[in-house]
Amino acid sequence: MNDTLADLRVVELSRTAAAAFAGRLCASAGAEVVLVEPPDGHPLRREGPFLRDEPNVETSAAHLHINAGKRSVIIDIDTDAEALRTLLNSADVFVTDLYAHVLDPFGLGWAALHKRRPSLVMTRVTPFGDNGPFAPYAGTNITGLASGGQLKITGDPDKPPLSNFGAQAEYQAGLSAFAGTVANLLLRDETGEGEYLDLSMQDVIATNLEHRSPALNLGLEANRVGLTVSATYGVYACADGWVYVTAFAPALWGRLLSVIEMPELRDGRFSTQSARLENNDELQALIATWTITKSSAELHGLALRGYPLTVMTTPAMLLESEQWRTRHVARRITHPVGGAYDLIGAPWLDDDTVTLAPAPRLGEANEELLGTRTGARA
Amino acid sequence: MDWRSGRLPLKGLRVIDWSVYWAGPYLGMMLHDLGAEVIKIESPSNWDPMRTVIDVNKYAGASAKPLTAQERSNTNQHYNEWNRGKRSFAVELKEPRGRELLLKLAAHSQIVIENHRPGAKEKLRIGYDDVRAVRPDVIYLSLSGFGQTPPERDAMALGAPVELASGLFSLNGYRDSATPAKTGFSYGDPVGALTAVSAVLLAVRSWRKAGQGRNIDVSMRDALAFGIGAAFTDWSLNGTDRPRRGNRHPSFAPQGVYRTKGADEWVAISVCDDNEWRQLAGLIGADGAMTTEQRRLAHDELDALIEAWTSQRAAREIESTLQAVGVPCAAVLDYPQLAVDPQLAARGAFQKIEHPVFGTEVRSSNQWQRGDDAQPVGMPAPCFGADNRYVLGEILGMPQDEIEALERDGVIGSAILAPAE
Repeated sequence: MNDTLADLRVVELSRTAAAAFAGRLCASAGAEVVLVEPPDGHPLRREGPFLRDEPNVETSAAHLHINAGKRSVIIDIDTDAEALRTLLNSADVFVTDLYAHVLDPFGLGWAALHKRRPSLVMTRVTPFGDNGPFAPYAGTNITGLASGGQLKITGDPDKPPLSNFGAQAEYQAGLSAFAGTVANLLLRDETGEGEYLDLSMQDVIATNLEHRSPALNLGLEANRVGLTVSATYGVYACADGWVYVTAFAPALWGRLLSVIEMPELRDGRFSTQSARLENNDELQALIATWTITKSSAELHGLALRGYPLTVMTTPAMLLESEQWRTRHVARRITHPVGGAYDLIGAPWLDDDTVTLAPAPRLGEANEELLGTRTGARA
Repeated sequence: MDWRSGRLPLKGLRVIDWSVYWAGPYLGMMLHDLGAEVIKIESPSNWDPMRTVIDVNKYAGASAKPLTAQERSNTNQHYNEWNRGKRSFAVELKEPRGRELLLKLAAHSQIVIENHRPGAKEKLRIGYDDVRAVRPDVIYLSLSGFGQTPPERDAMALGAPVELASGLFSLNGYRDSATPAKTGFSYGDPVGALTAVSAVLLAVRSWRKAGQGRNIDVSMRDALAFGIGAAFTDWSLNGTDRPRRGNRHPSFAPQGVYRTKGADEWVAISVCDDNEWRQLAGLIGADGAMTTEQRRLAHDELDALIEAWTSQRAAREIESTLQAVGVPCAAVLDYPQLAVDPQLAARGAFQKIEHPVFGTEVRSSNQWQRGDDAQPVGMPAPCFGADNRYVLGEILGMPQDEIEALERDGVIGSAILAPAE
C-alpha cells in the first residue's frame, strides 16, 4: 500500500494535526506531499518535546512523526498567494484546515480552484465544518473532544473530564479526512473530475462514540467511570504495572476462573453475570488481590495463551517487542538535524519495503518547487 | 463531496462482511456508505455477539414495548448502529454446505472483511487462500487487536483493552499523576475501523489499476500507536519518561477544562496565541500582556482566575462569549446535549430512521456526506437472516426448492438458535 498514490502530488496547507495527519497518510500511501509552511514554520515544529529538550524547528517529535515523508516549501499566503495558486496547478489533491472565509479571498476556495483546475480533489477539515451556526468557531484538539462528546466520558467521576494524550480528536479527523480523500480520488479516477470534502472534527468525534446509540435511542446514561467499567471489564494494578481484565461474557469468565484459582470466586454471589454485577465491589476487591501478586511479564505470558488479560505496554517496550520487530511497525531512519529516530510508517501493516523519508527541513524544497519564488523571506 | 448524482466510489462492488462487535461492523458500514453492497454474514449458531452479549435494550426499563429475546437480538442499539444499510445472510459456516455457499458468494464479491480472532477463519477454511481459490483478485482484510503475526496474534483483544497494549494508556492521565488513564470507551475500534477503511480504499485503487487483489492485516494496536507516533519518536530521541500532561498542551497556554455553574458541566478553553490571550484576559481580569512563556509558568494561577469566572456562568454562555472574541472554547457535551446540538443538527449528523421491529431509531449518517451534502439515511440494520433469499436466489441464482431445503436442513436460518433469557 506504500505506493498506491505514487502517481499523485498532494499539497497540504495546514496549521493543525488534523490536516497534517491526512497529509501524512497520503505520504504513507506513496504520494508526493508538499507541506506549505508559513515563514516561521508549521506550528507542530514548535510543539515539544524536542531532541535533548532543546527547542529547534527541525527536531520536535510531533513534527518528525507527523510530517515525515513530506517535502517543505515556505509560502506566506498573505503576501504571495499566487505562489500557492501556481503550485496547485500541478496538484492532484489539496488538503487544508484553513476556513473558507480565510482562503476564499485568496482565490483558494473550492469554487475558484475547481474552475481553475477541474481535476483537483480538495479536502478541508475544520472544527465544525463549512455550514451551521458554529461553522466560524475557533477550535483546537481539546475543544474537538469537548464538542464531539468524547471529553465528557473520559477521566475519573470525581475529577474534571480528561483530554487524552496526543491529538486524538485531530487524529480521528485526519483518518476520516484521508479515507474521504481516497474515496474522492476513486471517483476522480473514473471521471477525471475533482471532488470536495468538507469534514467537521466535531462530526467525526460524535460519530465515533460507542454508547451514543444506546444513549439516544434508549435513554441509557453514560458518564466517565475512570479505570473500571465493572469488575469483569476494567483495569487492575498488577505488581509492576496495570492489566485489563475482560470477562463480561460467560466463556471469558470461565477462562478467568481457570487461571485465577480462587475458591471464593466460585461462590454463588458470582455465578452469573447479573450476580457479578450485583456484587461488583466485592468481586473487584477479590480480583485485585490476585492481579497485584502478578508481574506484567507473567500476565502477558497468560494473555499469549488466550487468557482474557491485556497488560500495559509503554512505547519503549513496544519498540523492543518481538511482535513489532516481526511486523516492521517502526523503522529507524536518519534526519539530517535530529539524527537517528524510530518512525512508525503507517497505521496499517506496512508490507512493502519502501521507507518514508524523514520530516523535511523548513523550506528545503523551495528552490525546486517554487523556482525563483524562494518564498523564504529574510 | 458531491455524490448527489448517485456516483459513489465503491458503486458496483460487493462486500462480504464477516465481522463482530464494533470495529469490523463499523468498517462494513463505512464501505456501505461509500457505495458498496455489504452482506453481513452470521450463523444461526454463532451470530454477531453484539446482538445479545451487551443486551442494552434489556436494561432500558422505560421501554414501552416489551420485546422477546429474539426481537431484542434484532433491535440491539449497539448492533443496529454499526450495521445500518447492510444485507443479512445467516448461514451455518460449520456445515460443509454452508461453507460452500459462502465461497460461492465470495466468487461474486470483490471484498471480504473480517475481525474474528486470528485462527478462526483458518479453522473454518474461509481464509484468504480459500477465498482466493474461487476469487483470485479478492481484497481480503483482517482486522484484529495485534495483527495476524505471531507471537501476539493469539492474545485476546477488544477495543478497550487494546488501548493498554498500544502505549496510549501509559501516557494518558491527569497532570503529574502516577496513575495512567483510559479513554472512556473502546477507542481501538473506531480508530482500527477508520484505518481499515483507508486500507481497503487504497487496495481498491490498486485493483482498479492493475487488477490485483490483496491480503490486508490491520491491527487496532498499531493504528492507535500511529496516532501517538510522536511519543515513540520522542523515546527514540531522548529515552526519557515524560510526566503526564492532563488537559494542558505543550504549546498552547492556558489550556484546560473548567467548571461552570451547572452540575458536572464544563468548558474546554485553549489559548493558542497572544491575541487570543488578550481577549480572554480582558474578560477574566488578567494581565493581557503576558507572553506564552509567562502564561505557562503561571498556569496554575491562571487556571484559578479562569475558573473563578467560568464557575459563575453557564457552559453555552461561556462558549458563545469567548467565540465572539475568537477564543477557542467549547462546552463539554454529554449524550443528551449531542442529541440537540444545533451544529450537529445543521450538519445532518444524526437522523431518524424506521426499523421494522424497534420503530423509530436515531442513526448517525454517512460521515463523508454532511453539511451541504447531507443525504437521508437509507436502510436500517437488517434483521437476522432477512436477506437469505436475496443472496441465494438473486445473487447465486438458486431455485426456490433448493433454498427451502437449505432452510429445512438448518444450513441457513432466520433466527438465532439460543437467545439469552
